[in-house]
Amino acid sequence: MFSAYLIHLLILICIYLILSLALQLAIGYTGLVNFGHIAFFGVGAYTSALLVLNGWPFWAGFLSAGILSALFGFLISWPTNKFKGDYLALATMGFSFVVYAVLLNWTDLTNGPLGIPGIPKPQILGFSFIDNSDFLVLAIGITIISYLIIKRITVSQFGKVLEAIRDDELAVKVLGKDTLKMKSYALAISAFFAGIAGSLYAHYLTYIDPSSFAIMELVPVLLIVIVGGLASLEGTILGTFLIILIPEALRFVGFSSSIVGPMRQILYALILLLILIYKPRGFYGKVDLE
Amino acid sequence: MFLQILINSLIAGAIYGLVASGFSLIYSTNKFVHFAHGATVAFSGYMLYFFFGMLGLNFGFSVILAILFAGALGILMNILVYKQLRSRRAGNAILLIASFGILILVESLILLFFGADVKTIDYIAVSRGLSFYSAIITPLQIVIIIVSVILFILLMLLMKKTRLGKAMRAVSDNKDVAEIVGISAESIYNWSFFVGSLIAGVAGVLIGLEQNLEPTMGTSLIIKGFIAAIIGGIGSAPGAILGAFLLGFAENFGIWYLPSGYKDAIAFVLLFIFLLFRPQGILGKKK
Repeated sequence: MFSAYLIHLLILICIYLILSLALQLAIGYTGLVNFGHIAFFGVGAYTSALLVLNGWPFWAGFLSAGILSALFGFLISWPTNKFKGDYLALATMGFSFVVYAVLLNWTDLTNGPLGIPGIPKPQILGFSFIDNSDFLVLAIGITIISYLIIKRITVSQFGKVLEAIRDDELAVKVLGKDTLKMKSYALAISAFFAGIAGSLYAHYLTYIDPSSFAIMELVPVLLIVIVGGLASLEGTILGTFLIILIPEALRFVGFSSSIVGPMRQILYALILLLILIYKPRGFYGKVDLE
Repeated sequence: MFLQILINSLIAGAIYGLVASGFSLIYSTNKFVHFAHGATVAFSGYMLYFFFGMLGLNFGFSVILAILFAGALGILMNILVYKQLRSRRAGNAILLIASFGILILVESLILLFFGADVKTIDYIAVSRGLSFYSAIITPLQIVIIIVSVILFILLMLLMKKTRLGKAMRAVSDNKDVAEIVGISAESIYNWSFFVGSLIAGVAGVLIGLEQNLEPTMGTSLIIKGFIAAIIGGIGSAPGAILGAFLLGFAENFGIWYLPSGYKDAIAFVLLFIFLLFRPQGILGKKK
C-alpha cells in the first residue's frame, strides 16, 4: 500500500520535473518569464489523449504532443518578441487563458468541463505500461533523456547565446545574432518538453479536464524553478522533490481532503513569498530575475 | 436585444472601471502590476458578508467596515511584502510573481474560512428589473453605475486638486525628483495602496451585492481590471475607466456571436492587440 503511494509520488515528480526543467530553460536560461507554460502542458495532454483515443499508437501521440506544443511555443514567441519581464509574463498569461477557454468551450473536440475519460495507458511495441511500477520505469526513462537533452542544450554554444540574450539582448544583437530566432527556438524546445510532460500526465491519470491546466496550476511549477534557483538544473531537481513532497505532509497530519487543497495553496504561496523576500536566488540560483 | 447588450456593457464597464481605477492608481506610483488587487476586492465582498450576513451588524456600518478593511489589507500587503522586495531592488517580474503569490494566499484563506460554496448577501431582496423599452435594468445596477461615476469624479478631484494627489503624481512622474523636494516616496506608496484598496473595497461591496461571492472571484476581476487599465493607458485613471467601458462593450457584443465561455478569451485577445500595436494604451504617453 505504502509502496503504491510512493510510486505514485515518484511518477508525479517525474512529470513535474520535465515540466519544470522546460520552464527553467525558458526563464532561467533565456530570461523569458513565460506564464503560458501551463498551456503547453495542456496542449500536450489533450493532443496525446485525443490522438491515442483515435487509434494512434502511444509513441506517435506522445511525439505529436511535443511537436504541437513546440509549434505553439514557436508561434507565441513572434508577437511577444518585444516584451520583457512583467509585460511578457502578462502577454503569455493571456495565452494560458485563451487555451483554457478553448479547452473549456470547444466541447465537440475536448468534451468541455467534463473532460476526457478512459485515456489508455501507454503501449510500446506490444508492451503495456498498465502497472504503475512499469509506468514509473517509463517515466524515469523519459525524464532522464529529457534532462540529458536540456543539459546538453544549456552547455552548448546555443545555450551560451541564450544566456547572453537573458543578460543583455542588445549586445547579442550587436554581435550579429538573430535573437528573435534564438528565443523562438528556446521557447519551442521548452514547449516541446512541456508537451511531452502533458502526454505522460494524460496517460498516467487516464482522465484529464481543463481545470488541470488553469493558470493556478502554474504556481507549483514556477515555485519549483524559483526555489531551486534560476539557471540551475540541479536546483530544479531539488526543487521538484521539495515542492511535490512538502504538501504531502498535510495528508499525514490528518486534515480532511476539503482542507488539504486550500492548505496546499497557502503553503505554496507562503513558500513563494518567503523565498522571494529572504532567499531570492533560491538554493542554487546563479542569476537574479531581470 | 441591442439595447439590453448596451446596458449590460455599461454595467460591466462600471464594475471593471471600479477595479481598474484602483489598480491603475497603485500602478501609477508603484510602477508594477499589483495582481493581488483582485484579492482585495474579493476580501471586501467577504468582509461585508461576514459583518452583515454572519454577525448581523447594521448594513451601512458593515459596508463602511468592509471598505476600511480592504484599505487596511492594501497597506498590509505593501508593508509586509512589496516594501521588503523594493528594499532589495527586486525587478518588476519578481514583484508581479510576488503579487500573484499574495493573490493565491488571500484566495485560499477565504476558501478555508468561508468554504467553496457560493455566498449571497441578501440585503436587497431580488427586485424586479425596471423595463426600459425592451431592456431590463435592476435598481442595484443603476446604483452601481451612479456610485462608480461619483467615485470616478472624486478620484479625478483627488488627483488634480489635493496635496496628496499632487504628491502622488509627482512620485509617479519622477520618484527621485519628488524625494528631493521633500515628498516621502514610501509614504506615498502607502497612501496609494490605501486609496486604491478603498476603491477596491467599494468595488467588492457593489459586486458582492450584484453577483454572488466566490473565493476565486478576485482572479477573474483583476484580470479584467488590469486589461482595462492597460488598454486604457496604464497609470492613467481616466484611461483605466475608458478602457473598462471599452472592455465591457467588446465582451458583451463579442458574446453576441461567440459562446459566453469565451468572454475571458475576448478580453485577452483585445489585450494582445493593444500590446502589439499600441502598448501605451489609448490615453497613455509613449515612454
